[in-house]
Amino acid sequence: MNLRSLRVRVTAFYVGMLAIALLVFSLAVYFGAKTFLTRSLDRRLSNNAKSIVADYLVPLNQKDEAWLVEEMGESYPPGYSDPFVRVSQGSRILYQSGDMRDPFVSVSKLPLPSNPRWLNRIRRETAPSGQRVVLYTISYQPPKGAVIFVETGSPVEPIRHVLNTLLLILSVTMPIILIAAAIGGYLMMARPLRPVVILTEQAERVGREALGERLPIIPTGDELERLSLALNRMIERLEAALAHNHRFSADASHELRTPLTIIRGELESLIELPSLPVPVMEGLGSVLEESARMVKIVNSLMTISRLDCGGEHIELVPVDLVEVVKVTLDHMSLLAEEKHISLRFTPGPAIYVAGDSMRLKQIVVNLVDNAIKYTGEGGDVSLSVTAEEKKAVLKVIDTGIGIPAASLPLVFDRFYRADQARSRESGGIGLGLSIVKAICTVHSGTASIESVEGKGTIVRIELPLLSLTTMKADQLKATSNVEV
Amino acid sequence: MRILVIEDEQKVSALIKRGLSSERYAVDIAADGKEGLELAEAYPYDLMILDLMIPRLAGAEVLQRIRRHNTFLPVLVLTARDSIDDKVKLFELGADDYLTKPFAFAELLMRVKALLRRGPVNRSSTLRVGDLELDRLTQQVRRAGKRIDLTGKEYALLEYFMQNEDRVLSRNMIIEHVWDQSFDGITNIVDVYVRHLRSKVDDGNVFKMIRTVRGTGYTIRSGNET
Repeated sequence: MNLRSLRVRVTAFYVGMLAIALLVFSLAVYFGAKTFLTRSLDRRLSNNAKSIVADYLVPLNQKDEAWLVEEMGESYPPGYSDPFVRVSQGSRILYQSGDMRDPFVSVSKLPLPSNPRWLNRIRRETAPSGQRVVLYTISYQPPKGAVIFVETGSPVEPIRHVLNTLLLILSVTMPIILIAAAIGGYLMMARPLRPVVILTEQAERVGREALGERLPIIPTGDELERLSLALNRMIERLEAALAHNHRFSADASHELRTPLTIIRGELESLIELPSLPVPVMEGLGSVLEESARMVKIVNSLMTISRLDCGGEHIELVPVDLVEVVKVTLDHMSLLAEEKHISLRFTPGPAIYVAGDSMRLKQIVVNLVDNAIKYTGEGGDVSLSVTAEEKKAVLKVIDTGIGIPAASLPLVFDRFYRADQARSRESGGIGLGLSIVKAICTVHSGTASIESVEGKGTIVRIELPLLSLTTMKADQLKATSNVEV
Repeated sequence: MRILVIEDEQKVSALIKRGLSSERYAVDIAADGKEGLELAEAYPYDLMILDLMIPRLAGAEVLQRIRRHNTFLPVLVLTARDSIDDKVKLFELGADDYLTKPFAFAELLMRVKALLRRGPVNRSSTLRVGDLELDRLTQQVRRAGKRIDLTGKEYALLEYFMQNEDRVLSRNMIIEHVWDQSFDGITNIVDVYVRHLRSKVDDGNVFKMIRTVRGTGYTIRSGNET
């Protein structure tokens, strides 16, 4: 999973938003509940106290204290009571309900109301037995006798318990909701993003294989449809520009051919003339040689421009690279011999690539020609063909003059020469490696070079390896033998 | 022998005409496809040299129309393109041979002669040029009776020279026959091989048979004429 992908980012964004919303909601619920529960407890306590005054203390004029105890005992039993109450006159207790349970609060141990500031208000304190309790106290002045205090109270613990449970529920459900939302969202994003994936895959194919193809238009009417339309228009313009470029170099080299034919023909017929003075012969010969070189350049440019447009005339068939190298070297051995260079290649088992054997041969020819050209008398040029994972690797290693590090990245450029004087003298036209590179590209391969000046150069060609079953390879061998 | 040249580039056609005339061929020139077709239908030519890129009627079209009622006329096509695809198409259309511009006149002449001869080429098992002898069966080469040892490539090169005695062979022709087109770009392969061959054939002999024709190529000559 790519963390920077649109799918992950969109999902993360909305899960984040959801988390914030849930958090705000939970806080609101928690504090709302807390306020509500506290207030309703407070109200209950004050209501109870007021109703005790109205129901039991006001009638006390006509009744006696025994009645009070009996009546109150029914509502606020002497066993356990919630809320607990206590009616006191001075230090004398008129009635006291039972203790609280869950948690236990021992009412008799609570101090009697002594502070006038406690009157008519809710107060919270810690009971002697250690629980937090809420107490409410009001006073009643009977027609005769001292002031009677009525206290009602209840522990805070049940409210806290409810709130804690609520908190637990919220903190457990929130992550579950978020995880579910993340997974669901991630899965759901696949659908709207599907066209993007298709577009990307197709766009990669268009770039790699041929510009001729177009992106699929998914008629959703959304931004993606517009995007693919825009991309298609861009490819069209690109294609037109490339075609124009390609046509230009093809046309140019094509147009050069006719004048070259004429130059050559005229010179040839001139040189045939009898009894020409020697300087004239020399001059004509020299011009003829130069026109031959121009022909070479024109042909090479034509080759490159044809390869550049995707090698339209190239048919890829299984070719044994080892065989190609072997045969080609046989044809070139004398070039090495002449400079006392040892040209080495040990043919191994067949290694197949999908290729055009003429073009592959040209790679070998150009590379070996270069290697011999830039290697001094008595040097070494060795070739190897190996299979590495999914690649067929051709290496040409020489012990020649090497290439300066600064020039290395440029050697595959057209008309680039590392050493102007030397290579021109040896008759190169500066297109050999460009052609090698163009051929590699057409075969979906790569060409790379490393070199140490004064020590030698290694050119490495990588082509996609073709894995054939033994039977098929044998078949191929049989047919190729027939052709040879 | 009468040859029709259909070529719009006036200088090129003039060159061909001059060259072929000096070889005693009668040459007519047509500057466009229509005129060429009319001439070809009016006169019984022995050979036609046809440029593909001509105005009014394309070369391929001319070729097709001629082939409809004249299947025997040898046609040598001149083309500025040299992709394999085009070549295959040319032969399908009925061309007998083709030549890519720019060409050496020697090569044009050789192909013209080959097309006009049309019969079996020299297939005899022994080739002779002066006192040089090449036996195709045993692949042995002797000069003045003395055996010369040649490598495979040198042998192929010499055989090609001897088949074309007295003709100038351009480097391109040699490459196409003895190597193949993929060796075309490289620097001096023909020169190196010819130099080696020459040292084996001519060293120690007064008459040097393998000659360099500056700017064009090489030729082999027997000593008899000079």
